[in-house]
Amino acid sequence: MRVFERSAPGWSRWRRMRWTILTSLAVTGIAVGLAACGGSSGSGSTSSQAATSSTASGAKAAGPASGSLTVWVDSVRLPAAKAYQKAHPDVHLKIVTFDGDANGATTLQTKIQLWNRSGKGWPDVIFSEQVNDPVWMAKKPFEFAQPIKGLVPESALRQWPAPSTAQCTIDGTQYCVQDNLAQVVLWVNKKLMDRFGYTVPTTWQEWAALGQKVATEHPGYIVGNSGDSFSHWIYLWSGQCPLQQLKGDKVTINATDPHCTRMASLMDPLIKNGTVPPLSVFTPDFAKKYGGAKDKVLLMPGPAWFATALFHDTLHLPAGQITAASPLKWENESPVVTGQVGGGPWIVSKHSKNLKAAGDFVTWETTVFNDKRPGYPAYAPLADSWLATLAKDPFFASDPTAALKGAAPLIWQGWNLVTYPDQPVWSNTVVTKLVAGTALSALLQPLGDGLANAAQAAGYQVARE
Amino acid sequence: MRIAGLGLRLVVLATFAVFFVVPVLWLILAPTKSDHALVTDGPLSFGSFHQVSLAWKHLDAFSDHIYRTWITNSLLYAFSATAIVLATAIPAGYGLAFGTFPGRKVILTLTLVVMIMPAAALVLPIFLELNSLHLIGNALSVILPFAFFPFGVYLAYIYYVTAVPRDLLDAARADGCGEWLTFRRVALPLAKPVVALVFFFSFVADWNNFFLPYAVIADSSQYPIQVGLSDLLSSTPSFNPAQGGGGQQVNIFRPELALATLLAVIPVAIVFLLSQRALVRGLVGGAVKE
Amino acid sequence: MSSSAVTSPYAQAPRKRGLRAVVERTRGLGSGRGLPFVLPYLPFLILFGIAPMIYALKLAVTKDNGDWAGLHNFTRTVDDYRFGPAFKHIFLYTGVWLGALVIFVVTLALLLHGRANRVSSTFRFVFYIPGALAGAASVLVWLFMLDPSVSPGSFLVHNVLGAGLFVESIAPGHLPFIFAMIAFWTGAGGWIVVMYGALNTIPQDLEEAARIDGAGPIGIALRLKLPLIRKWIAYMVILSFATGTQLFVEPQLVNQASLGLVPDTWSANQLAYQEAFRYADFNAAAAIAVDLLAIGLFAAVLIVSRTGLFRTED
Repeated sequence: MRVFERSAPGWSRWRRMRWTILTSLAVTGIAVGLAACGGSSGSGSTSSQAATSSTASGAKAAGPASGSLTVWVDSVRLPAAKAYQKAHPDVHLKIVTFDGDANGATTLQTKIQLWNRSGKGWPDVIFSEQVNDPVWMAKKPFEFAQPIKGLVPESALRQWPAPSTAQCTIDGTQYCVQDNLAQVVLWVNKKLMDRFGYTVPTTWQEWAALGQKVATEHPGYIVGNSGDSFSHWIYLWSGQCPLQQLKGDKVTINATDPHCTRMASLMDPLIKNGTVPPLSVFTPDFAKKYGGAKDKVLLMPGPAWFATALFHDTLHLPAGQITAASPLKWENESPVVTGQVGGGPWIVSKHSKNLKAAGDFVTWETTVFNDKRPGYPAYAPLADSWLATLAKDPFFASDPTAALKGAAPLIWQGWNLVTYPDQPVWSNTVVTKLVAGTALSALLQPLGDGLANAAQAAGYQVARE
Repeated sequence: MRIAGLGLRLVVLATFAVFFVVPVLWLILAPTKSDHALVTDGPLSFGSFHQVSLAWKHLDAFSDHIYRTWITNSLLYAFSATAIVLATAIPAGYGLAFGTFPGRKVILTLTLVVMIMPAAALVLPIFLELNSLHLIGNALSVILPFAFFPFGVYLAYIYYVTAVPRDLLDAARADGCGEWLTFRRVALPLAKPVVALVFFFSFVADWNNFFLPYAVIADSSQYPIQVGLSDLLSSTPSFNPAQGGGGQQVNIFRPELALATLLAVIPVAIVFLLSQRALVRGLVGGAVKE
Repeated sequence: MSSSAVTSPYAQAPRKRGLRAVVERTRGLGSGRGLPFVLPYLPFLILFGIAPMIYALKLAVTKDNGDWAGLHNFTRTVDDYRFGPAFKHIFLYTGVWLGALVIFVVTLALLLHGRANRVSSTFRFVFYIPGALAGAASVLVWLFMLDPSVSPGSFLVHNVLGAGLFVESIAPGHLPFIFAMIAFWTGAGGWIVVMYGALNTIPQDLEEAARIDGAGPIGIALRLKLPLIRKWIAYMVILSFATGTQLFVEPQLVNQASLGLVPDTWSANQLAYQEAFRYADFNAAAAIAVDLLAIGLFAAVLIVSRTGLFRTED
């Protein structure tokens, strides 16, 4: 079979070919030149000199920091990082935006492995949206995190709430500080509630009953959502469902515990009638259906950072409508507990060649920065000023701070942090099926199985009851 | 009957043409609209050029002009690797076609076998190899694996075997040319079609390769554009909206993503257009029949 | 007839005359002819072709400290709860994709191989356009195409996929078909060009003879042309099978775009990547890689032997 024709050397074709080859070589040359001048080779711990002369004392004055720092932040923290650069012109800051390990991604795990294997490239500071990231960062084979003691002043560290510090403490050592507290409260559209003549529910049962009412009286309006990768943290964590209880190396995953099943049965009719849709609040589809001018969010159990990040920035809800109420409780059970969605640990790399500046950066970000800060600061003094600003924010129908502050110590401690992310399991065993119409009660068992698989793959021993 | 047959033929061809082209049309038109207009206006409507420049401004501002770096990286990797491929594969094809050294068949078979095994499954051992050579973090960690292109060798081999007769080379040798001169004076000039072909395939393969750079590059400023696009996707609220309010700062929404994708495609499209004639005529014959 | 013939230090016998004689003499020279041309390519072949294959094999049968592990890595990866689904996904995906390739590419090539050359080449060009968008770019385009709120094909998304929202489009059951469609969209054009070219090597006389015999266009297509391009179809199937099972980019990007709804271990290659780079278990990853290599090799051998693909190659 003749594959190629016999081509007699055509002068014009040769000319064209030569032109192509020459152009290619020229472009290669230019590209190499550009790359050599422009790009940086490798990132991370490349700093010239040690930073400060004075030891960092107070949280607000950390002495002049200098040198260079590489920080990895998600896009929400980007303004905060840029603000640091502006306030500290002596520090050469390289900011890398990444996905923040959101939704249970394993980006940081793969990256840190890569850096560890090649022996270079670690950034100095990482911000993660995954609260459990420091847990594996502190352990083998990653061994990435530097103990935070000495990097953040002791006097400041004492002003983080104990539960928050506990989440950053692995095997007795504190490896991170949390950026914000993410307690779940009940977000209420006061204007709509008043217009429809409803009272704000205080218990889950009242909430569910209201949902049924809304489905018949005002179809199209919603009282919650179940399609986020963290929806189980809002509903099941608040309901004290034991999906992640750690004792040493053994994790208990009991998805059919009465605490779980009762919440699922409560939610099933609401998911079915459309008042708790299996859609993520951050998708364009959600915004189109319920946000902006449509303004169909009546109630929304959600974390503190929904305040501006969701209702204002993402959904563009009209001002004067949203406020916060105390988290829902289960009938008259006490103590009242609630769930948690995030918290954003800041971690310093132990490979950092500029630990002092790294510590100063983390300290500044968590104790000083307060310019349109998206989350409820975990550092108590800053929390007070943040709450004060929020109370005066005309976006809200009424002062939401009482509810937010009140809910902060209520996070249920029966949900522990493990090395594997549970969000992907919720997303692909439960949410996909919810979208297809399966009831949540029927999905609890697969959820438990999926979590057990993930736990075992991560090396845990699993107890199913 | 004939007309009906012809009509049916055209309908089928036109349907597929629509399938292939409409997404590309959408991509070209998308950056001209704002994110809101993308949803509300017709999908194939034209917005404004002003919107395009806005979209570019946002895209360029992302992470300190990293988009330009990504494109530059892709150009660097693709051109460098393809240059090496041309320098090694064309002679190799010639040597395998006309050589008489022992092991010729072995090398040929190995080339064919490795060609059928796409690189993705071999990326992990290649990573370990590169790591032991301390090349991780260096541009060579991408260029060198890219420079291995067995398909190019195979193409050159097939070409020489079928399109260049031995007698031509023997005549050159009879005239007193040594091996190298024979190659340079006779075989190489005759290889222009396959040079164009190998250039095209190698460049496109390098430009579109995702897995290898994804696995071996740790610093996002060294990413080629394909991996950069995935980085863009995951760092911006449009598809990773858990970034939530950060969208305002990052400003990468759907038109920006569309623009990013479109610009990432242009270099390959240019190479494709340049190589069009060689492709259609050189590979398996064009319109000319025996 | 040159007298300045290459003088061979080995030739002692009286010289034969003529070009042929000269060539015969020089052909007998040194069995190393051609080797220097292949030499620059060899380090790449070894370093990035042979060595990784051997390295992968070695990793697959050893533990991470180097001890012999036998088939242990293979058995424990098979036991992994993600292994079964991952391989099921890629087999389904590859099957759908190959089916679409063989049926549509061959049909389109046959349809194009008619008389109207200008029309034909325009269509060929149009089919080829998406080929420039392989990789991440094509996935991004299709993420938009599958979103009913922006897609120009929202009518089809609503009715064929039954999806009113993006999350419904990417329901788990749809994924193999969606990925196959994306792969077809980017890859079909190139193969159509190849098939068309293959069709062009069929001598005109054969076609004329068949036409004289009374065969209609469909008859000619099915009974004359199709069997003659069998080899190229087999070639396409082999290459596509191997690349199909190695799927990585599409599910990885959809995993990001869906906020984790589509798992990051949907395909076998993704699982291998997670094993290597998340769990630092290169041995397990190598076992999966060897599985994929073996599958590709098996398919290649099967198809080559069935169609005699390499018979005329040497």
